Amino acid sequence: MTDNSTIDSQAQMLAMQKAHGPLLEVKDLAVDFTTDTGKPVHAVRSSSFTVYPGQWVAIVGESGSGKSTSAMAVLGLLPGTGHVVGGSIKLDGQEIANAKQKEFDKLRGTKMGLVPQDPMSNLNPVWRIGSQVKEALKANNMDVNHEKRSALAKALAGEDAAVKLKGNDDETFLGSKELPALMDEAKKALTAAGVTGDAFDKAVARFESEWVPGSETRWRVADDLIKAGVKDDDAWYLAKKYVIGSSMDDRIAGLLSEAGLPDAATRARQFPHEFSGGMRQRALIAIGLACRPDLLIADEPTSALDVTVQKRILDHLHYLTDSLGTAVLFITHDLGLAAERAQHIVVMYKGQVVESGPSLEVLQHPQHPYTKRLVAAAPSLASQRIISAKERGEDADALLDHKIADENELEKSEHIITVEHLTKEFKLPRKKEMFKAVDDVSFSVKRGTTLAIVGESGSGKSTVANMVLHLLEPTSGKVFYEGRDTSTFKAKDLLGFRRHVQPVFQNPYGSLDPMYSIFRSIEEPLRIHKIGDQKWRTNRVKELLDMVEMPQSVMGRYPNELSGGQRQRIAIARAMALDPDVIVCDEAVSALDVLVQDQVLHLLNDLQAEKGLSYLFITHDLAVVRQIADEVVVMQHGKLVEHATTDEVFDHPKMQYTQDLLDAIPGGKLKLGLD
Amino acid sequence: MGKYLLRRILQMIPVVLGTTFLVYALVFLLPGDPVKAMFGDKPINEAVAAQIRAEYHLDQPFIVQYFIYLKNALTLDFGNTFAGQPVIDEITRAFPVTIKLGLMAFCFEAIFGVIFGIISGLKKGKWYDTVILIVSLLLISVPTFVTGFVMQYLLGIQWSILPVTAGADPTFLDLLMPAMVLGSVSMAYIIRLTRSEISSNIAEDYVRTARAKGMSNGQVMLRHVLRNSLIPVVTYLGQDIGALMGGAMITEQIFNIHGIGFLTYQSILKGEANLVVSIVTLLMLIFVVCNLIVDMLYAALDPRIRYA
Amino acid sequence: MTNENLDNQLDNSGEPTPEYFMETLPGQDRYVAPLDETPLQDVDSVDESAPAASMWADAWRTLRRNPLFIISGIVILFIIIVAIAPGLFTKQDPNSCDLANSLSPASNGHPFGYDMQGCDVYTRVVYGTRTSLSVGVLSTLLVVFVGTLIGAVAGFFGGWVDAVLSRITDIFFALPMLLGAIVVLQMFKTSKSIWKVVLVLALFGWVGVCRIARSAVLEAKNLEFNTASTALGSTPTRNLFRHILPNSLAPIIVIGTTSLASYIVAEATLSFLGVGLPTTTVSWGGDISSAQVNLQTDPLVLFYPSAALAITVLAFIMMGDAVKDALDPKSRTA
Repeated sequence: MTDNSTIDSQAQMLAMQKAHGPLLEVKDLAVDFTTDTGKPVHAVRSSSFTVYPGQWVAIVGESGSGKSTSAMAVLGLLPGTGHVVGGSIKLDGQEIANAKQKEFDKLRGTKMGLVPQDPMSNLNPVWRIGSQVKEALKANNMDVNHEKRSALAKALAGEDAAVKLKGNDDETFLGSKELPALMDEAKKALTAAGVTGDAFDKAVARFESEWVPGSETRWRVADDLIKAGVKDDDAWYLAKKYVIGSSMDDRIAGLLSEAGLPDAATRARQFPHEFSGGMRQRALIAIGLACRPDLLIADEPTSALDVTVQKRILDHLHYLTDSLGTAVLFITHDLGLAAERAQHIVVMYKGQVVESGPSLEVLQHPQHPYTKRLVAAAPSLASQRIISAKERGEDADALLDHKIADENELEKSEHIITVEHLTKEFKLPRKKEMFKAVDDVSFSVKRGTTLAIVGESGSGKSTVANMVLHLLEPTSGKVFYEGRDTSTFKAKDLLGFRRHVQPVFQNPYGSLDPMYSIFRSIEEPLRIHKIGDQKWRTNRVKELLDMVEMPQSVMGRYPNELSGGQRQRIAIARAMALDPDVIVCDEAVSALDVLVQDQVLHLLNDLQAEKGLSYLFITHDLAVVRQIADEVVVMQHGKLVEHATTDEVFDHPKMQYTQDLLDAIPGGKLKLGLD
Repeated sequence: MGKYLLRRILQMIPVVLGTTFLVYALVFLLPGDPVKAMFGDKPINEAVAAQIRAEYHLDQPFIVQYFIYLKNALTLDFGNTFAGQPVIDEITRAFPVTIKLGLMAFCFEAIFGVIFGIISGLKKGKWYDTVILIVSLLLISVPTFVTGFVMQYLLGIQWSILPVTAGADPTFLDLLMPAMVLGSVSMAYIIRLTRSEISSNIAEDYVRTARAKGMSNGQVMLRHVLRNSLIPVVTYLGQDIGALMGGAMITEQIFNIHGIGFLTYQSILKGEANLVVSIVTLLMLIFVVCNLIVDMLYAALDPRIRYA
Repeated sequence: MTNENLDNQLDNSGEPTPEYFMETLPGQDRYVAPLDETPLQDVDSVDESAPAASMWADAWRTLRRNPLFIISGIVILFIIIVAIAPGLFTKQDPNSCDLANSLSPASNGHPFGYDMQGCDVYTRVVYGTRTSLSVGVLSTLLVVFVGTLIGAVAGFFGGWVDAVLSRITDIFFALPMLLGAIVVLQMFKTSKSIWKVVLVLALFGWVGVCRIARSAVLEAKNLEFNTASTALGSTPTRNLFRHILPNSLAPIIVIGTTSLASYIVAEATLSFLGVGLPTTTVSWGGDISSAQVNLQTDPLVLFYPSAALAITVLAFIMMGDAVKDALDPKSRTA
């Protein structure tokens, strides 16, 4: 396949872009939503950005910054009461800010495509994947025999022979019916051309992997044959004879396999619920690109996926859009990801563009205070552990020593939590064999330090957390707290254990009872353990609110009035109420915006320094680990694959899987110019 | 699929047994003497009464009576009425009329309920949406027998469009008004259900994705909004078949239709225990079978449900 | 091969394009917004200006703004007043009838005229309110209590308890309420009373509430705050009463409000069929039944109690819709 990402083609692209002019030009865009009471809410105000053909432009911002709203305004798909109240949106010079839905129908699909955020809710559960791809083709009257290349791809093809596009006539797809015959003839042609042995096998293997019906075009078949040693004339003869257009089903399978879905013809007949998140996202990419739009709007296309899957999908999307010449408007909350993927960055804050420019420049020389703040907080860009203890004039090592000295006096072990050969099996519905969620995992948490368990979804990390918390009975293996086997605990011991080992859960919306006021929520553990009288408890709650830097006035409020980060701080205050020794944080910062996440991490770190807490920190995000953990345990498929200090894991990962995880950290390799 | 069906049928057995037992217990254990009822206002002849009791096993313990009944029911022998008619004959005579009435009511509520629901859901906030909503609220609020009287008075008496009552051997036209009355409340519920399903489906992410593909509004509505909204509506319709049979009791009373509802009510009044138990068992079987069909349909309409 | 494995094995073609410093294109120059235009706010600051509101306070706020609620609220308030103090609205006795007045048209002081027995229709409609309302309210209370109890037990304990209770629920569900009620009430036809009607309606009506309560408890049971509470040292029973039940109330309240309307209808239907309330009790259903005979000649005698019944039911159904909108914003009807 072609790969035009060379310096030459870069320069050529630039010239092309200049000649063509902007593909999308948004000027002073303003979008309002009308509330129930009739008051307008300004979601986007005076925002401008420009996208050129073939370019990746990223809009970065936290939730509620107006980044998605801007993108949806471009597509004419503003939700509910949203409407454009000012400014202009020009697509290829055509004003569409206030276009009618009928006009948008013509633009969507062929001119603009969308890859939406949540792969779970964006495919209709009642239709087969293939038929949902087909809808896109049918809606735009796409000729499935021929491919429509984007304007940029055509322009590039016209000017430079190195880019091997040969006009519409040659962009005829290979059909599955002709494939066997073509393959036979190709083998004969190879033999005729005198290709034998290893070279022959290699060529055939290449044909088999490259010649995907519904995706491979005539000129590429010819090209493959020529490269394998077949004479030009013979190659073109074969290509013209056997590549004569594909059926609708071939094209659908072709599109899906272009998006990186293996065994696409079978997969196309399946329903969305039979797909994993990553596969659904690939199907959505296939849909978004089905009609070869000039502009693809990718609205946080991978934020719901595991990091390694995320990286693979974005790499593939990048490759696809490059080869098709598609421009991408990439919406993300992750500055590192934006800088890594896009040439141009637009930073939005509270509905406005606060800074924009070439991505590396913005990243290395942020000028607006908000951008500076973002750069400083981005976990993926941070290179070391937060050092709040040092800021207090205490050395982290000294703190540790101090703790250990204490222990010697009390003759306690150095390890506060020890896990030995922990295994958990679940019975899967309608299957005979047991599923091992956690398989023989051992580690221990040193007093006063943080141990992070890292893994992707399904790695069993949360199951470990629940077993440590004694919320789940292990199938085998033991959990020791202060050297005592927790499985032997009677009701009274268990209550004592609960007092010392506290959880903070992932979902800040779910872990606080919506019917409880903030005061009652924080007071609950004190009540359960019957500590103090009403007055004492009230004071204690006030103290705890101060500790997590929340105003005391929130006591009378309810969780639904607080933001995710605020709720998480309340959850931390609740966990701190009983003065615990250990806090188990199960993805405690995963659902939070970058800045808020940074704030909560600092809070956790400060508390650790102050109270000598030990943390068991469960996360999927290695970037966060670097900021908070002393030791790291990497888990995959229920097994412990690597256990080392944080620095060791980051600098000298021993296992390939750990390396993959590290590589997947977006923007991890970018250099920053922070003062 | 076959396995699933088998399991569902096996699951039905305890429900059917439980319900028949419940009804049987209600009819036979509660105060009131069917034999006494047989004599009506005449003085009771104890000797005859004892003979009748023996004949109908009324002198046996209750649980024995139940099993005798069950055993006979398996051979479609539901016993006799007090007048000596086999119960099964009474039922087969009355049933066709009710099936006709129920089918008409079902078609009425399904067709008009879905159509008005779609209109209302797609054109939310328009004046006809408001009119449809108010009418459906009224239909739900006004009890069936009142709706029946109003229609009788207006369509039958004032305007003389349709016959006021049906009588023994009703024609299609005779049953038209009763069917509308019988289906009216369910139609109103279907309108509301369809409408709320459509408005919640329109906000789904996959609808936005479909628009982003460039599909026309009509196509999006048809393939994504209506198709998905239909699933709960079909479920409701299926479950409603059983309810229609129950509702027929009132409607047949008002319009003097000699169907199963009329028969049930008359036999309850007369204390025809055998007849009551048999009819209730029959209705309940219809209900349970309808539920099974609905579940099958549901699985066909929604690929997420698996037969397992 | 599982889907997850496939995800990990999917091809990895194409590295991201390396970055090059390029000259900027028109419209993509470096831009920094003036700071005074977008002042920077504190990260995640608490808005202390808004009034604190619990879920109930929120629901109340939504309710107050809903015209459906205001209209139905006023009507229901009026109905309650009529039910408590019918004497305020009429000075006559609903049971003092004079056959001489049989089917007389409306006259001064008798706005709705007389029925066949020569009773004042207006007075009977006023006195019928109490009957309908008390049957509705009492049946609803009983049904909500029994249904919630059984549903909560089934949902909370699960396992075989749930299996047994669910089968019992299925049995009652398969039996149409009206049919069951008629069968049982027929047995009591010599000793009718309002209590028997209430009990019978509850006997065949609890299933609906039970199913809703069960699924609400199941849902609330799986919410994370219960796990959080357990980890804080709370016991399962404490969780049930302190967290799960309060969080399951909303759907139960919604079905309770709508049920009230359906019990009023059911009572009227039973009285209409002559198996409900004793004939000595003034009730709309009974009056509709006796006016039925004169439908052809005097439809108005039938109209007034029917209208009273319909307005009452309508008010409660509207109230149910409004409460549903307020407590469950996902299922807005309007």
